[in-house]
Amino acid sequence: MSLPDDREALLDLVAAYALGTLPRSEQGLVAALILSDPQARREYDELRATANLVGLSAEEPVDSARAARMKERLMASVRADASSPRRAPVSATRTSAMWGTTLAAAAAVVFALVSVIQNFGLRSDLHDAQTRVATLQTRIDADRRTVELDRRMLTDLTASDAKRYTVAYGTVVTRGANVYLALASLPPLPRGKVYQAWTLARGAKAVAPSVTFSPSQSGITLVPIPEDAGNLAAVAVSVEPEGGSRQPTTKPAFVQPLS
Amino acid sequence: MQPSRPLDDRGSENDRTNGWYVEDGARLMERVRARDVDAFEQLYDGYHRLVFGIALRIASDATLAEDVTQSIFLTLWSAPEAFRDGNFAAWLSRVTRNRTLDAVRSRANRPTEEIPADLPAEASTDTAVFANIDAQRVRGALSVLNEEQRTPIELGFFGGITHEEIARRTGIPLGTIKTRIRTGLRRMRETLSEAVSR
Repeated sequence: MSLPDDREALLDLVAAYALGTLPRSEQGLVAALILSDPQARREYDELRATANLVGLSAEEPVDSARAARMKERLMASVRADASSPRRAPVSATRTSAMWGTTLAAAAAVVFALVSVIQNFGLRSDLHDAQTRVATLQTRIDADRRTVELDRRMLTDLTASDAKRYTVAYGTVVTRGANVYLALASLPPLPRGKVYQAWTLARGAKAVAPSVTFSPSQSGITLVPIPEDAGNLAAVAVSVEPEGGSRQPTTKPAFVQPLS
Repeated sequence: MQPSRPLDDRGSENDRTNGWYVEDGARLMERVRARDVDAFEQLYDGYHRLVFGIALRIASDATLAEDVTQSIFLTLWSAPEAFRDGNFAAWLSRVTRNRTLDAVRSRANRPTEEIPADLPAEASTDTAVFANIDAQRVRGALSVLNEEQRTPIELGFFGGITHEEIARRTGIPLGTIKTRIRTGLRRMRETLSEAVSR
């Protein structure tokens, strides 16, 4: 997905993000736009506050028997928790229904697996099943890591305690040990060239090569820098031959000291 | 601003719909953080209709709505720091919406699709301005919208579907849906702003 050029169309996407109707695949780009564009940011803040109020229209009386039953159950849990010396999470008495679905699904998988073993009783089947499970688990782990990385990146980029430095084509964001380049509208690269990030370690006299990247088709590029922000005095970006260089060969697009 | 009331004044149904309870939610949460059971009870009395109403509207299942209501209030008790500041009712409304959609999707064994991460608000001006907005005023602001604007907003909030899905369901072009969501939210905001300035 690429962001539209038309300003009004862009703000329509911001409104969709505020309401919660933007597809997941577009959320990152629009979030980056909101972070880098003051007008988009203002639009988001205003419309998000308004969208959150929509739910209030659904308030309705609860029949007295149900209300009393819910309250009795809830207050019993809360009073029990309040009287306990340590602050432990309260367990829901009725939320078991929600967990029930998950547990039932897990039980079904176990039952199916046991049935397969019983029915065929062959070690090879078991071995194949274990191999498939291991493969699937590896995939799940990899997907989970990707999701966690994306989530951490989005959290860092949007955190109120993140430091933001305006640079040519965007923003350098640091939060804790993490550094990101959030760049918009980078000039297209000539064939055989890439952008390369450079880092200057505290106390160092020369920059060290970091990651290479190309602008995304959407025009917005998010680049996590692997080095620890706490050890860096500055970051820079230049255009380099594919594969990157050991030292900059062109004038940097920007050099940003990190305080 | 509505006048504050003593926190031990539960108020009647009329009081609650006159707006004061919205303002008091944040203050009650401060006491809940200190593990004040009475404050929590008042919070439940003031807000269970909102939570249950949203959950029921989304799930169309009273049992699930009850489960969600229970789960949300238990979370308010066990993790009150989740609410920081601003309009408590609006925050609770969004939390309820997201939690219910999760529960519905989980029940239907469908992956969670939407619910974007909430970017932190830049300023709290809006939440302060809208601190006293209540259900009646929100209904009023929604009723000012024409059907074409109101439908995609309500489908988006309560249906938890993407604007593409809204376009498919309504047979209206995607670009038109996006524009109607924005113009509708803008108009709603103007109506609410006028209401609070009166």
